[in-house]
Amino acid sequence: MNLKKIIALTIACAISTQTFAHSRWVLPTHFNLSAEQGEWIMVDITASNETFNVDKAMGADLVRIITPDGKSSRPSSTYKGHRKSVADYFLAESGTYKITNNSHPSYMTSYTMNGDRKRLSANKAELSGQLPNEAKEIKTTYRYSRIESYVTMNTPSDNFKTDGQLLELIPVTHPSDIAENEKVTFKFLFNGKAQKDVSVEITADGARYRNNPQTLTLVSNEKGEINFMPKAAGRYLLIAEHQENTPKSPLADQQMGSVFLTFEAQLN
Amino acid sequence: MNIKTVRLLLIVLTFINFTVFANPSNSTPAELNIELNLKQQLGEYHPPYVASWIENSQGNPVRTLLLWREKAKWLKDIRRWWRKVGKKDAEFVDGITSATRAAGKYPLNFLAQDDRNTTLKKGQYTLFIEVVRENGGRSIIRQPFTLNGEKETFTLAATHETDEMSFSVSPR
Repeated sequence: MNLKKIIALTIACAISTQTFAHSRWVLPTHFNLSAEQGEWIMVDITASNETFNVDKAMGADLVRIITPDGKSSRPSSTYKGHRKSVADYFLAESGTYKITNNSHPSYMTSYTMNGDRKRLSANKAELSGQLPNEAKEIKTTYRYSRIESYVTMNTPSDNFKTDGQLLELIPVTHPSDIAENEKVTFKFLFNGKAQKDVSVEITADGARYRNNPQTLTLVSNEKGEINFMPKAAGRYLLIAEHQENTPKSPLADQQMGSVFLTFEAQLN
Repeated sequence: MNIKTVRLLLIVLTFINFTVFANPSNSTPAELNIELNLKQQLGEYHPPYVASWIENSQGNPVRTLLLWREKAKWLKDIRRWWRKVGKKDAEFVDGITSATRAAGKYPLNFLAQDDRNTTLKKGQYTLFIEVVRENGGRSIIRQPFTLNGEKETFTLAATHETDEMSFSVSPR
């Protein structure tokens, strides 16, 4: 591979990362609760590149709460505003709840025309007739994003069931045990297997009020794990991405998974 | 076996027994004296939630000494104690609960035992005192100490929520 090719490839990667790295998150009012008769939580749902200030409302239709006994449930009510959606939910039983706002897996084709980057919601088989003749740098991606957080009421439980689809995060350190200045370990799976070289970014709350966002950049190791230590108590957004080429697929050139995890580091 | 040998044997056995009983890890636990001193505050005042407990050198809790609290809703605000101890066992929490107390001095004493009343082994430990006030602040005091049969006395510096306090470990 000559230098020009390497540079071209690097730029292509950078562009595709930028295309996808639209931060989305769910932000629960509480991550850890103590209660005898259950507790209400509310969850903000938004697409925003500013951690944790809301920007564009994402619908709450896909919000699901996995209860400690593994059942999927829905918010009791939701509201969609211009900057965020809000979901209301009652935690009735003790344990760890997983809040998700996962998109459906989908195909997206990107291309450039006259230097502009464009997108089509179509797989490779659906492209004919939809793609302009001048389209260049055509690339179809099969993608799936997980937007998630964990809330624990009283005694924690392991609510970390996986489904083997693209990128998944398993909290090796239980989310309710994360604290400032203590080591945290998360593990990544890609299509059900431990995945090394997953790109991870972790940003603390309050990015609006810092000149430097102080984003921590990590890559998963051979075991698919990342290790880090939150320096301060507070809320954090973790964004992980991984993509692989799929030369054998008739529908996509690559597959890409993302995880957006909101978690809290507690005071120690 | 003649009388002399039996005598000697008895003496040896007595000595063995004596050493077993004198081993502090199997017998009398040291006494822990804490003079808790909750600071007088200005303005709106809610008596603080207080937890005090002991962690071993690995940072694992071995004994909760006291829990002064109100409704379950506020337990999570005693952050480290809730994370390390409280959230794991609701019955245990109920068992050690007592009501909150207003600002002032509280002389307290405990035995150096774990939550099942077993004498703590010799070694390094840390005493924790976590004080949290609604509409107020939080303070956490950490004092490492050693159980090795020797007396230790500490002065715990004042914090936002506590005045100067004393803590001593007295073998018995």
